[in-house]
Amino acid sequence: MTTAAVRLTSVRKRFGSTEAVRGMDLVVPEGSLTGFIGPNGAGKSTTIRMIMSIIHPDEGSVEVLGSDAIAAKDRIGYLPEERGLYRRMRVTEFLKYMATLKGVPSAGLGARVHAWLERVQLTEAAKKRCQELSKGQQQKIQFIASVIHDPDLIILDEPFSGLDPVNARLLNRLIRDLHAQGRTIIFSTHVMHQAEQLCDRIILINRGEKILDASMPEIHRRFDPRTVLVEPSSHDPAEAARLAGLPGVQRAQWIADRHMAELSVAREADPQVVMRAAIGMIPVRTVELRKTTLDDVFVELVGEAMPASEESGNG
Amino acid sequence: MAERRDDGAMRKIWAVAFRELRHTVLTKGFIFGALVMPVIMFGAIAAIGMLVGMQMAPVSGKVAIVDQSGRVAEFARAELTPEQVAKDMEERLSRNSEFKSLGTASGAQASTVLPAFDVAVDSVPDASRIDELRAKVQSEELLALVIVPPEALKADPSDAEGNPAAVTLIVPTKSAPRTTAAMERALARAIVKARVTIAGSDYRSINSLMETPPTNVRRISAEGVESDESRITKMLLPMGFMMLIWITTFTSGQYLLTTTIEEKASKVMEVLLSAVSPMQLLCGKILGYAMVSMLMLGIYGALGTTALAAAAMGDLVSPGMVALLVVYFVMSYAFVSTMMASVGSAVNDLREAQSLVTPVMLILTIPLMLWLPISEQPNGMLATVASFIPPAIPFVMVLRVTASSEPIAAWQVAVSIVWGFAWVAIFLWAGAKIFRVGVLMQGKPPTPRELLKWIRMA
Repeated sequence: MTTAAVRLTSVRKRFGSTEAVRGMDLVVPEGSLTGFIGPNGAGKSTTIRMIMSIIHPDEGSVEVLGSDAIAAKDRIGYLPEERGLYRRMRVTEFLKYMATLKGVPSAGLGARVHAWLERVQLTEAAKKRCQELSKGQQQKIQFIASVIHDPDLIILDEPFSGLDPVNARLLNRLIRDLHAQGRTIIFSTHVMHQAEQLCDRIILINRGEKILDASMPEIHRRFDPRTVLVEPSSHDPAEAARLAGLPGVQRAQWIADRHMAELSVAREADPQVVMRAAIGMIPVRTVELRKTTLDDVFVELVGEAMPASEESGNG
Repeated sequence: MAERRDDGAMRKIWAVAFRELRHTVLTKGFIFGALVMPVIMFGAIAAIGMLVGMQMAPVSGKVAIVDQSGRVAEFARAELTPEQVAKDMEERLSRNSEFKSLGTASGAQASTVLPAFDVAVDSVPDASRIDELRAKVQSEELLALVIVPPEALKADPSDAEGNPAAVTLIVPTKSAPRTTAAMERALARAIVKARVTIAGSDYRSINSLMETPPTNVRRISAEGVESDESRITKMLLPMGFMMLIWITTFTSGQYLLTTTIEEKASKVMEVLLSAVSPMQLLCGKILGYAMVSMLMLGIYGALGTTALAAAAMGDLVSPGMVALLVVYFVMSYAFVSTMMASVGSAVNDLREAQSLVTPVMLILTIPLMLWLPISEQPNGMLATVASFIPPAIPFVMVLRVTASSEPIAAWQVAVSIVWGFAWVAIFLWAGAKIFRVGVLMQGKPPTPRELLKWIRMA
């Protein structure tokens, strides 16, 4: 049996008349890289703030790293979604200050800060004031501030927002490294493909309740593929409309950049039958049954409330 | 995993406190505004007399006195000697200021604010030479021309219409007003002396007879304690001490307010709260700005003490008074800092903060508005009642403790301290609750009613 890094038992939190978290029970296994996903206002940030003991539950208990949340504070690294820096503080000084607050001894602190700045390729910024840095550089400093004390549990709320592809890749690698070292990581995001790419476990929260808690392989098993991609030989977008008329097809849309029609198959229909019917209806170059994405799971469980992931490129 | 210190909450509080201290006192704004400016102002006031004296050219030359009697000149010569002019200035300073105990200091000041005097006096009995002498004043051959009408030396010195007979003093345009005024007074005295002599009386004995005696006002308390009456101790010293506490606590309070708002606005608050609890952050900030406040109090207090010592008034402040000042300073700082930190946590900008701070500020201006009546009657009903209204307690008590020529009743001091710190505890309790909720709030600022709700729910 795996040990829990975080365990929430029947946790409730109200803000005035709004119940932000409704009797949440969840376990984040030690050493896992768990994705917290959910639409805006689902209760993700409130849950994270309770894990961080920034706010406290009205009911239920929060156990973090085997103790209560307050006692574990110095063993947690937290990169909030709304992050900030002391604008006039110098980078090194800011990082030392945050490390000191987290209980890192002053001996060797300078070397530790320097090593982290080297890891994120920002040594030239060491003596600069935070306000002199670009947004991407500031984000990297904020990331260092959340991990400089070598926490056992790292909570990252939208860590990639605002990063260019090069820095996003660098951060991705750092997160994987930290995970490989055995740290438990909670990764909260709206971007499904990032969660899918990084996480080994997903917790989907909606309206203050946990509606999915499973490992990625389990999700792939539980949610069988229901999207058929058809590339007509003609590359004619009008073919998508024709394919929409096939029995069992709920919806068909044209993906312009890939010259493909994406068919959503109804739950009661068999995707294999739809594939064969598509081949029978129009001349096709390729037909494929797309693996279930987190996006699909999200839409299925949460509904159409959230716009499709920006990477799908639906045309 | 990483090595960690396990010295808990106090370590975090001190870390926050030292950051606040460093990032306040090491800024150009603080160094210039709170440290350099007062020193410059203090130095400037001290040096101003010297600078004025250094800038004035020596007064050297002749004064012609047109006087048919020929008697005025001899007295004018005696009055226009450097020693006599300096003595005149010294008398003026001691008469016009409350610093009666500063005899030596004002004498020294008199010699620094007047230029060197080397004046010869010519008597001109012939009134027909006035135009010629006026031309000499114009060409600066003469320092001054004095025209004394014969009526001015009569026993009844008035002209045909019954108006006082005026003496005319003509000086060049560039003559310094201070020099001209000194000559004017010297000549006036010389004319009076000449008039008395012409009337056949002895000026010295008449002057002695007319001398008004100085009055030593002694106040005696109900307990029979007798002490000197001194306006400076009764009025200015209390104001000085109250302002010292006011400025040092409010400067820090203002820093506390703005840095808390900045931390919220720059979104660094949530990062901090991932490392410290709201209470640790609040305590750290209050402690940090307490050190800023004490630094300012130390510097201003040292400057004030130096000034009092230089004015030979060091004995006006007793060690007991200083101890009470420290107690009331701590109380006032606790009131102001808690209020500023909680307001700063609840709002998004300074404009929003003003609407919440204004009602409390109105209470805190009571001691400023009542400075005069409290200083005049530190044991009166008004002063006694005002000294139990929180959060004005420490400011009113400082006025009373330093103003009174007799000690404030010990029970009143004791009750004000106990009552005041009880209110400090209530302020801290409510402020901490507001701070806990406020630091995480965004959007519309709370109304006073919502703040009360926060206090109940936190």
